[in-house]
Amino acid sequence: MQRFIIRRLAQSLIVLVVLALVIFALARVTGNPADLLLPEDASRDDREHLLKALGLDRPLHEQLARYLKGAITGDLGTSIRYRKPAVEVFFERLPNTLTLVGIALASAVAVSIPLGLLAAVYRGTIVDRLSGAIAVLGIATPSFWLGVVLIYVFSIQLGWLPSARMGGPLHYVLPTITLAAFLVAGLMRLVRSSVLEVLDTEFVKLARIKGLSQMVVIWKHALRNALIPVVTLFGVLFALLVTGAIVTETVFAWPGVGRLTYEAVIFRDYPLLQAVILMKAIIVLGVNLCVDILYAYLDPRVRYA
Amino acid sequence: MTRPWLTLVLAVAIITLGAGAPRAVAQDKDTLVIALDTLGAMVMDPIADTRAPHAHYHAPVWDSLVGFDFEKGGIGPGVAERWERAADGRSWTFYLRKGLKFHNGDPVTAHDVKFSLERIMSPESISSGAAALRRAVESIEVKDEHTVRVQTKGVIPHFAASLSRAVFMEGSVMPKKYIETVGTKGFREKPIGSGPWKFVRLVPGDRIEYESAGPHWRGTPQFKKMTLLLVPEQSTRIAMVRTGEASIVSIGPEAIKEAQAGGMKIVSVPGTMQAVYQFWGLYKPEVKGSPLSDVRVREALSLAVDRQQIIDHVMAKQARWPLPFTTYRYSIDVDIPRWEAWAKKALRYDPAQAKKLLAEAGHPNGFKMTFWNTALPGTPFMVQIGEALAGFWEKIGVKVEMKTVEWGVFDPMGRGEQKGLTGTASMYRTAGRPEPSPRYQTTLTSGGIQHLLGEPNMCDKVCQEIDKVYESAVSERDDAKRAVAMNKLTELGVNTWVVVPIIEGMGYWAVNPKRVGQFKPIPGRHEFGDVAERMPKPEQKPWN
Repeated sequence: MQRFIIRRLAQSLIVLVVLALVIFALARVTGNPADLLLPEDASRDDREHLLKALGLDRPLHEQLARYLKGAITGDLGTSIRYRKPAVEVFFERLPNTLTLVGIALASAVAVSIPLGLLAAVYRGTIVDRLSGAIAVLGIATPSFWLGVVLIYVFSIQLGWLPSARMGGPLHYVLPTITLAAFLVAGLMRLVRSSVLEVLDTEFVKLARIKGLSQMVVIWKHALRNALIPVVTLFGVLFALLVTGAIVTETVFAWPGVGRLTYEAVIFRDYPLLQAVILMKAIIVLGVNLCVDILYAYLDPRVRYA
Repeated sequence: MTRPWLTLVLAVAIITLGAGAPRAVAQDKDTLVIALDTLGAMVMDPIADTRAPHAHYHAPVWDSLVGFDFEKGGIGPGVAERWERAADGRSWTFYLRKGLKFHNGDPVTAHDVKFSLERIMSPESISSGAAALRRAVESIEVKDEHTVRVQTKGVIPHFAASLSRAVFMEGSVMPKKYIETVGTKGFREKPIGSGPWKFVRLVPGDRIEYESAGPHWRGTPQFKKMTLLLVPEQSTRIAMVRTGEASIVSIGPEAIKEAQAGGMKIVSVPGTMQAVYQFWGLYKPEVKGSPLSDVRVREALSLAVDRQQIIDHVMAKQARWPLPFTTYRYSIDVDIPRWEAWAKKALRYDPAQAKKLLAEAGHPNGFKMTFWNTALPGTPFMVQIGEALAGFWEKIGVKVEMKTVEWGVFDPMGRGEQKGLTGTASMYRTAGRPEPSPRYQTTLTSGGIQHLLGEPNMCDKVCQEIDKVYESAVSERDDAKRAVAMNKLTELGVNTWVVVPIIEGMGYWAVNPKRVGQFKPIPGRHEFGDVAERMPKPEQKPWN
């Protein structure tokens, strides 16, 4: 087990280094922050002055060396736009995203497990078909559109909920539904198929032969085992959402890291972009590592693969 | 098996009940809430952000040395209630208002003004005015507590104008003693100025809160508090103004109808920008003889454009017929009636004449051209204008190869060699400001960054004449002579048909009439950082 973990850690480190180099290069290919900060009638010296003020007048290899050196010590430079350490800017926004994503995932699980279970138990009936329809809808509805529609109905027409921004518990309702809608679909189908699979196994049959009630068979024996793949997907979804809730964050004016990434790209804020992508990569790698370890723990075959 | 269902139904019921009575989200009446598409860098320091965001969220806290003419647009008294230019034109004396105080009670003095101008010019400043001030200022001298003299490098007829937020540089007055005591970091965390609003709190990526600083010469805030919200998505901003979560929101022309349908009032700020198209590098030997290098073809392309259609349909009627390049109705040193008459005739829609000119130039069946369609930050509707242009050109037989690119990609192409742009056309804009000359420098003079007419070693007769007239337009001390030069420069410019105005754009806002009363924007200044203190409550001045 220890060797497995060490091997995975080393692999993650290599991925990070390669990623750091790729972001450094890619960020610089498509433009320069100075151009976006300058007014359209700026002169050549305006530009040179600004490049100097931003430290972008140094040759590329020097910038790279400084960036790599800083990265090792956890200093990813100063955000060009926000005039603060890039890592600090990232961590200022991270909690906002984590809360939203955490609540959305929890709600999605709370809804999708019972629904998936029902669909599996009443396979082929109207309940199953209905849940299938919900799944298709959830996957097919663009979250951007869903967000706008929810705001229209619940804020403008009914006036029950605030339309956007962080705030009290009510502020979480619409963004949570928007984010969870597409999660529920996937999770529910996964619960359904894995419950079906488990229901067909020998130990469930044995449980039934023992004369246990339907309730106990399903809740205690089937569901528990069916949830293993769900836990995996949960980890993947979490990492995905922390990095990819850009649309929901934009529609609901949520000051999270998804929008921060978008802004860093649009403003060519190299240090911030580098920091944000590296930090997110660390989160994704960290979550994946945990999932892998969990898996290896649950299923010894993985350790030797 | 009913349990999960029950839980679900219960959960939904709790959420629904918890939502409480309708309209539970309305905010208190003493807070003015403005939701914006951008809050720039959100750094509370006048030297740490550039023009537009600065005018949104710095302006409430800091007064500018020179202020606004609130009625007409352009400049007016600021922290300096008056100023004068020395006889030799090389120095300026600013006389400060007496009795002004910073938010911590310290008086505003000439020392603060000197310190502020120097801070704006310092190496760490990224203020859009920094480089221009460095070029202009020789020295700054405190004559007495309320008098400052600035020695300029050469004669700069509009130096005072450039210290107003109405223009390019930003003469924000910052507290010398306070900044020296708390340092840059301390100042950015707890900023103080002398403006009508005190800074309260900044939540990164979300909002900036202010409170009224009491009676003020710029206007005494009628609201106790003000919050600027960052809401990037337009449909969300419109929802917020309709529900009353925001009093005022920034919108684009495409959203005007939707906002009006919801009962919102539209405030259009005139003369905030001019959308133009321009031709790049036509003087270069490799494109000599191409259709676009013929001035008749360029005039034909302008005659093919139905500007009224663009105003009515792309801009929802909330735009104006343009004047010549970078000229607005509040511009100084130019003969506005003359250029209004010119624009009405020369910029007309006349496809028959356009085709005739094309035929005369030897292209009766049209030709192929490349057109870069792009939008500068803050004016995304430029892309739709560009699409309309291409449509009009196609109608007179020109085959337009349109390349739509994001601004961050396009902008570097226009600097340096301009290799990709040579021989092509592109969308562009000029931001509203009273003096036209700086934009002529950038765009048309041979030393300018865009130098559409030539380079220092490749400058034909027209290019040389423009260089010469530009010099006199910016350094002439005599007002009448300078106006003659500026009008001449305008004339030379329009006759090249190399940079052609399409429409004069406006800044658009949707206002909830139940949250804020009727107010007037400052012409040419899209942002409301200098307007908020004069916004009444709805009961004080209802909308009619």
